[in-house]
Amino acid sequence: MNGIFVYSEDIAVTKQLLNIGRSLADVLQVNVTALALNETETDTAGLIACGAEKVIALSGSNPWVESYAESIAECIAKENPLLVLIGGTMRGKDVAARIAAWHSHGLVNSAMSIEVVERKLETKRMLYGGLAVCKEELSEGCIVTIDPRTYEEAAADPLRNGDVVACTAQSNDAVLVGGVCPIVRERADLANAEKIICVGRGLSSQSDMKLVEDLAEKIGAEIGCSRSIAEDYHWLPTESYIGLSGQKVKPQLYLSIGISGQVQHIVGARDARVIVAIDKNEKAPIFSAADYGIVGDLYEIVPKLIEKLGK
Amino acid sequence: MDIVACYKWVLDEQDIKIVPGSLLLDTSRAKGKISDYDKNVIEEAVLQAEKDDTVTVTALTFGNAKAKQSLKDALSRGPVKGYWVNDAAADIADGFVTANVLTAALKKIGAYDLILFGEGSSDAYGQQVGPRVAALLGIPVVTFVTKLEISEGKVMAARKIGDCTEDVTVNLPAVITLLPEVCKPRIPGLKQVLGASKKPVQEFKLADLDLVAENTLPKNKIKSIQGYAMDRKNEIYTDGTVDEKVNTLIASLTKEGLL
Ligand SMILES: Cc1cc2nc3c(=O)[nH]c(=O)nc-3n(C[C@H](O)[C@H](O)[C@H](O)COP(=O)(O)OP(=O)(O)OC[C@H]3O[C@@H](n4cnc5c(N)ncnc54)[C@H](O)[C@@H]3O)c2cc1C
Ligand SMILES: Nc1ncnc2c1ncn2[C@@H]1O[C@H](COP(=O)(O)O)[C@@H](O)[C@H]1O
Repeated sequence: MNGIFVYSEDIAVTKQLLNIGRSLADVLQVNVTALALNETETDTAGLIACGAEKVIALSGSNPWVESYAESIAECIAKENPLLVLIGGTMRGKDVAARIAAWHSHGLVNSAMSIEVVERKLETKRMLYGGLAVCKEELSEGCIVTIDPRTYEEAAADPLRNGDVVACTAQSNDAVLVGGVCPIVRERADLANAEKIICVGRGLSSQSDMKLVEDLAEKIGAEIGCSRSIAEDYHWLPTESYIGLSGQKVKPQLYLSIGISGQVQHIVGARDARVIVAIDKNEKAPIFSAADYGIVGDLYEIVPKLIEKLGK
Repeated sequence: MDIVACYKWVLDEQDIKIVPGSLLLDTSRAKGKISDYDKNVIEEAVLQAEKDDTVTVTALTFGNAKAKQSLKDALSRGPVKGYWVNDAAADIADGFVTANVLTAALKKIGAYDLILFGEGSSDAYGQQVGPRVAALLGIPVVTFVTKLEISEGKVMAARKIGDCTEDVTVNLPAVITLLPEVCKPRIPGLKQVLGASKKPVQEFKLADLDLVAENTLPKNKIKSIQGYAMDRKNEIYTDGTVDEKVNTLIASLTKEGLL
């Protein structure tokens, strides 16, 4: 077994994988192969500049990337890499799990880090919703998915050389894709926000969002939420929810209003510099994750905050 | 038409304590529960059966001896029969082993048109068992589904994939993994709970299943599991008037340079 294999259906993510993939390969003194699916020649060549010795340029006529899992698995089997890095998007995880099954390999999803320790590869990932971190030594051929933006894109060096091998991919057309509808991004990017106010089920109705918006405006914050607010109540778009299955954020200030602070939520916010919580339940777990907190009814606290900040 | 709802019996993470200093996990007080999103999985299967009386729903789990208590809970939610692969191997199983075991169990059961999984389990959140089983059975999978409709040997499903939604159609048999938004799990009533004890449970041991030894050994070596150390100031204002509490908070945030 040799080499590191990287793939994502999103070429920006492939470049992020090449960043970490290249540095692991340098330590292990092995080559990096990147797979590009239906990318232009320029984009494919860009992957060489970002650190791949070889690029497999797959092309096929089915626009649904999941339909190429078998083809990607075949490419991986031919290369027989000791590590496969796949971009941890939802589509990436779908493909990764099936490849892992066909090849009888391990799969670590959403690794937070990956490094070489005594010539063995080790990853860290969350367990129990973020309560714990699990460190594991990878078996050979293991697949690891890494969430987008975990690493920066590799710097392009146009002087790098490598081979581009073009292949035609065979899609599996068992799943028929009808309508595809993009979800329009309605809010600013929370990932880069300085201040975030996060609302949870403590808010009794959608019309009370106004209260939160007023406070956000006062302190110059973006608005995020817990999963239920986005997925059950639909008061805010999906990309606004923070946590294990949502966004990870690292603002200077994270202020929660009516969020109990279950670990699956707080795991997305605990890189914030300062965490502030407002909740009426003194025992809510959010308070043990907070720097500052007010135990009280948000309908009394928030208007008072707005009033005092106005002065 | 047979739907198999797969659920995992997990420790409730809210009962797990982190031992200060060593950061080891103290699970001695942790109770078990059906993995949060798997309640939605069972519910969705049962909703399908309620719409169409040719649909039969069974539940399948792979767990240790303690998972016995889960079957009553699962069956009180509507499935007509439970399948339980009862083996201590579940304690250290990874996605590779779990998928191999569930696949072997499904082959033994024989009756499956649609196999439903959660998007991820609450303890491991490995996000892989569903599509792995599909790959092993050689049938199609549709992941991250928020809506499904079965008709004439087909499933129409709506997926939610980050920044877009997709409508897809697939022939049965197939595997579907569900996002929790698909439905709200019911709270079983007393009658359902009592009725559950009368429903049949078929138990397997690993040895009853067609599995080679290497397919029951986890792939990676766990080096450590450590609690995440939360290091925060924990200045919580509990007493005083609203005015006082808000003033104190504003003072603290000003000191932090945040206002
Ligand atoms: C595998 C998995 C992944 C998950 N991923 C995520 C994720 O990514 N993001 C996420 O957010 N969740 C996630 N969850 C769900 C998570 O466990 C919690 O269920 C969710 O975060 C709870 O949302 P909440 O705090 O808004 O609601 P609740 O837990 O219901 O909390 C509401 C809070 O509001 C308080 N309150 C009520 N009224 C008032 C009032 N008038 N004034 C002040 N306070 C009030 C209550 O005291 C309570 O603390 C996940 C769960 C699982 C199992
Ligand atoms: N031991 C198990 N028994 C039955 N189903 C399981 C088991 N482990 C995982 N699953 C199913 O697979 C889904 C995904 O689990 P995971 O890949 O661990 O995140 C869960 O939501 C369950 O539906």
